[in-house]
Amino acid sequence: MASKKAGGTTNPNLKIAAGAMVCEDCELIGDITIGSRTVIHPKARIVAESGPVVIGEYNIIEELVTITNSSSTESGNGKVLIIGNNNVFEVGANVQAVRVGDHNVIESKAHVGPKVEIGTGCIVGAGCQITMAEQLADYTVIYGGKCERRIQRERPPAQTLQIDFLTKILPNYHYLKKPNTQPASRTAVKK
Amino acid sequence: MELQDEFYNTSQYIETASGNKVSRQSVLCGSQNIVINGKTIVMTGCVIRGDLANVRIGRHCIISKNAVIRPAFKRFSKGVAFFPLHIGDHVLIEEDSIVNAAQVGSFVHIGKNCVIGRRSVLKDCCAIADNTILPPETVVPPFTLCTGSPGKITSELPDCTQDLMTDITVNYYHHFRPHGKGK
Repeated sequence: MASKKAGGTTNPNLKIAAGAMVCEDCELIGDITIGSRTVIHPKARIVAESGPVVIGEYNIIEELVTITNSSSTESGNGKVLIIGNNNVFEVGANVQAVRVGDHNVIESKAHVGPKVEIGTGCIVGAGCQITMAEQLADYTVIYGGKCERRIQRERPPAQTLQIDFLTKILPNYHYLKKPNTQPASRTAVKK
Repeated sequence: MELQDEFYNTSQYIETASGNKVSRQSVLCGSQNIVINGKTIVMTGCVIRGDLANVRIGRHCIISKNAVIRPAFKRFSKGVAFFPLHIGDHVLIEEDSIVNAAQVGSFVHIGKNCVIGRRSVLKDCCAIADNTILPPETVVPPFTLCTGSPGKITSELPDCTQDLMTDITVNYYHHFRPHGKGK
């Protein structure tokens, strides 16, 4: 049920690199930059009202995910929320972090509050919440009902294969937002 | 106790010939791959991802508001495959739950705000309590109740679960009525 209406209001501050898959049916508000090969599923929501959001390459943002730049709580606004590369945001995750590094997995229904900084290779387990202001050390895993923590030795595997699959499948079923900036390299994906 | 009538706005729902009631505000991606067998209610805000793989939903199921039905994927040495998702008959999925399962049997009750991990198998006649997080690849045996995070089997269900679930889903369907119409 991909509908055109969702993309009806064009966002002048939206920059999508060629090769990114951004479904029409998602809500992108404000100044957002999306790197190439990033997949954004329908019904995702990215709110950049209090400052820009920059999303790197090879990220997967699934449905009902909310990514908010909440920097306005600090004095003034304009702080950029930078999300690195190879991150996975699973269904229903809610992220308001200050910064997200690379190779992180935010699982379903996880909540990352404002003032949290996520490093590299972290996993925030399904349903876990981080609300305190803190900087997550690299390779931290937060899991279980009590949000216990441990440090893992290696980062979670990259989801390149899944991205390849999704870039093949999604254009068959969804209207996509047109890329409007050229990345440094990478050939444009068909359709 | 008799269920209360729950009214919906006729303009909000589409009723198919087989008796499915599907909200216009639900998101059915890849609708050609979604089979809903009849008398199933799909409420507002639900997301069913038929674009990733086939989704088959049985009769008399209830998919409450903002639930997500999404086929699970598995990584293979070459590429990724999404597994078709089969949901049996008389399945009740409550609000805000995310079902990433490979298979859901019949007469299954999934509570509110649950996450069913990817490629889990829920056998017939099992129940998942509210706010449960099932880890990936869990198998929930018949007649058991899973609770907690991570979900663990905490108790057994009575032998009449099948009849209870049939009653609940059938009654719910009958009490889910278009607004303004009488009997």
